[in-house]
Amino acid sequence: MSAVLQVEDLVQEYPGVRALKDVSLEVRRGQILGLVGENGAGKSTLIRIIGGMEQPVRGQVHVHGERRVFHGSAEAQAAGISVVSQEFRLVPELSVADNVFLGHELTRGGVVGARETRRRTQHVLDRLGLDLAPDRPVSSLTVGDRQMVEIARALSRDFDLLIMDEPTAALNREEIQRLHEIVRRLADQGKAIVYVSHHLEEIFEICHDVAVLRDGSLVTQAPTAELDEARLVEHMLGRAPQRFERAAGLASAKRVRLRVHDLRVAGVPSGFDLTVYAGEILGLAGLVGSGRTELTRALSGDLPAQSGTVEVDGSTVRLRSSRAAIRNGIFMLSEDRKGEGILPHLDVTENAMVSRDRSSLPWWKRLVPIREDEGALFERLRSRMRIQVPHGRQLIGNLSGGNQQKVLLGRALLSGCAVLLLNEPTRGVDVGAKVDIYQLIKELADSGVTVVVSSSDAPELAAIADRCAVFFAGRQVAELLGDEVTEESIVSASVGQVAQEDRHV
Amino acid sequence: MSEATVSTQTLVAEERARSAELARRADSRRRLVQNAGVLIPFLLVLVIGLVAVPHFASASNVTNMLVNAGILAIVGFGMTVVIAIRGIDLSVGSATALTACITAATVNAAGPLAGSLLGVVVGAALGLVNGVLVSFLRVPGFIATLSTLTVFRGLVLLFTGGAPIMIASSSFKSMATATMLGVPVPFIAAVGIGAGAVFALERMRFGKHVVAVGGSPESAVDSGISVTRIRLLAYLISGASAGIAGVLLASQLGAVNASISRGLELQVIAIVVLGGTSMAGGRPRVVGTFIAALLLSMINSGLNLLNVPSFYQYVALGALLVFALTIDGAQRAAVRRMLEGRRS
Repeated sequence: MSAVLQVEDLVQEYPGVRALKDVSLEVRRGQILGLVGENGAGKSTLIRIIGGMEQPVRGQVHVHGERRVFHGSAEAQAAGISVVSQEFRLVPELSVADNVFLGHELTRGGVVGARETRRRTQHVLDRLGLDLAPDRPVSSLTVGDRQMVEIARALSRDFDLLIMDEPTAALNREEIQRLHEIVRRLADQGKAIVYVSHHLEEIFEICHDVAVLRDGSLVTQAPTAELDEARLVEHMLGRAPQRFERAAGLASAKRVRLRVHDLRVAGVPSGFDLTVYAGEILGLAGLVGSGRTELTRALSGDLPAQSGTVEVDGSTVRLRSSRAAIRNGIFMLSEDRKGEGILPHLDVTENAMVSRDRSSLPWWKRLVPIREDEGALFERLRSRMRIQVPHGRQLIGNLSGGNQQKVLLGRALLSGCAVLLLNEPTRGVDVGAKVDIYQLIKELADSGVTVVVSSSDAPELAAIADRCAVFFAGRQVAELLGDEVTEESIVSASVGQVAQEDRHV
Repeated sequence: MSEATVSTQTLVAEERARSAELARRADSRRRLVQNAGVLIPFLLVLVIGLVAVPHFASASNVTNMLVNAGILAIVGFGMTVVIAIRGIDLSVGSATALTACITAATVNAAGPLAGSLLGVVVGAALGLVNGVLVSFLRVPGFIATLSTLTVFRGLVLLFTGGAPIMIASSSFKSMATATMLGVPVPFIAAVGIGAGAVFALERMRFGKHVVAVGGSPESAVDSGISVTRIRLLAYLISGASAGIAGVLLASQLGAVNASISRGLELQVIAIVVLGGTSMAGGRPRVVGTFIAALLLSMINSGLNLLNVPSFYQYVALGALLVFALTIDGAQRAAVRRMLEGRRS
């Protein structure tokens, strides 16, 4: 058996983080290798290095036994490596066909052969079972279709190694099954495949072997037949999965904190209806593009609502901007912590204080914040939130993801919010900090804050949510209560299984 | 459950139809704003010109307007490519002036053909300087070309020593005013170059890469497109088109000095943006640029015929630029409102 790809002792470092630590891996012809690990374990970094999009600090990449150094994705593609990236790398202004062949156009003398491009695109789309006109601009596609186009794009190239980074994150059940068939067929044809997924049953279904990354190190590589799901999770976490204590039942005297009635936003077919109680943790689940992101953005004033009402503590609020939302007690932490969360050039104290509710302070303290006051306040926050920083003047940009998130949770706490919206609260957060953050979310809820967690991580919701609303294609398709909130029920509702079964009833 | 009758397939199909419908509406709205933004002013100015401006439709004025529009449009095509990759070229006015002066001197020394060829080559070389600054030295396009704007203008002054250069060759001078079937040559050149630009942008690999780099630079990099090369080429094309314009301008004027085509960059940016090429990148509109060039040329000529003092003309140009950018902003806002929630 010849190794198509071999990586040796790869090390990658980002400022403040060691993303990969001496990772060595091998993929053979006809092998489907599952690559699993928690968010932030280093999977995407490894893929970006193999795909030539990043250069490692140390280590070697061998393709067909020959050492290669890629200076860009074009060189990796030329060496027969095709990547389906997790983030969509499509140009919305171009058509489906142009996107599929972007970077390897079918040209004669620089002129694109439009007919041939369309024909070959149609061929790939047919193989994927996707009924889509190759001339449609990508900007008109749904998120699920975009994901399929991304896959079509990888398949349109000549490759020996196909890397798929969470290819099913936005797909429904039938699409996933079709994709699995294609992957198996490719393996039978002798292609090597690296398959990354968060859905472990998927790994067990199609992968021959599985490699587990944890905190940047490869902790195990074994045939899937020798593992079961519990063992795999243990490898991923580095310990037996921790059970979280769910608050003992919902508070008997339920007070409605947030009521959303028929809230409509552009791009989502039906209005959102939602009632959340004080001290409750509500999970929002669903695939990428299911509408849950739109809901949180509308509630945080980031997305203008077309109609409908939002009530906080019984009074109707108008959410025309994020500022208005914060004034009315709704605070959101974005999934894009770097872009929309932290202020990287300010220190942790300033970052925590920036949204602070200062209405109870005398006017001169509002105008000129007193350093000592804020320092003392941050010290209290630091011990309460278990933020690991040497001092309050540390720049937030240099902290780990987990600590950044804790500072941001502190910011939300100081804003005096009644409703806290969290989008992917533990993306890019390491295992230890994750447990801390769950604990903090619980404490916030126990102190009476209403927490709405939108997450693509089903185990996460299963661990912390009291109640879970599942969205599919812009509608709420299921509501899971208390003990029903399990990983399995969330996943199956997310991929449209509930609706599917109902049809046959 | 109320959703009992809804199956996965229908949900997905509905979502698909909705997404397509939204995109179609956003697109038609964008097109409406773009077309209205350039066509309504165009027709308005045309009608006002014909009704209210004496000698507006006279043969000599029409020829004059077409020559000016042709020269503007040629520079505009280069700028269209640069703006489509999210860049900007502020140096086109100075580059046009420099090539016009070099061309004039070369025509006098070595004849019309050598002068014309050298002019285009010099223009391309100036564009190459901008391209190297932007793509290899990573200077932001605005700053890089703002600097070369001054540098090139300084070189014009050095080259001419402040004195005007008279062109002796009458055959060269007649090039800009010569007509084919009643249409001036510069206008025909603009149509030809415009057609070439449309073909290159719509049908060639280069055009796809321009759209990719302007629309989504990260995707372009990950697709294995050399973003550096595309940026370099875009500025090179802009320089070369300024070079062609410089040759035509020298021919039209017959005598060039160091202060010609001052402020041309603003006129060119105004017509490109008014023509519907978004400053946000990824959407070149060559035909729009062409129509907007005609519009601006009509405005200039109308104000001249009405003997409006030149400072009012500056005000008019500034107002037109503001109007163009407002339209661009409105168009983008309309699309964003339409597609909000999806990353467009």
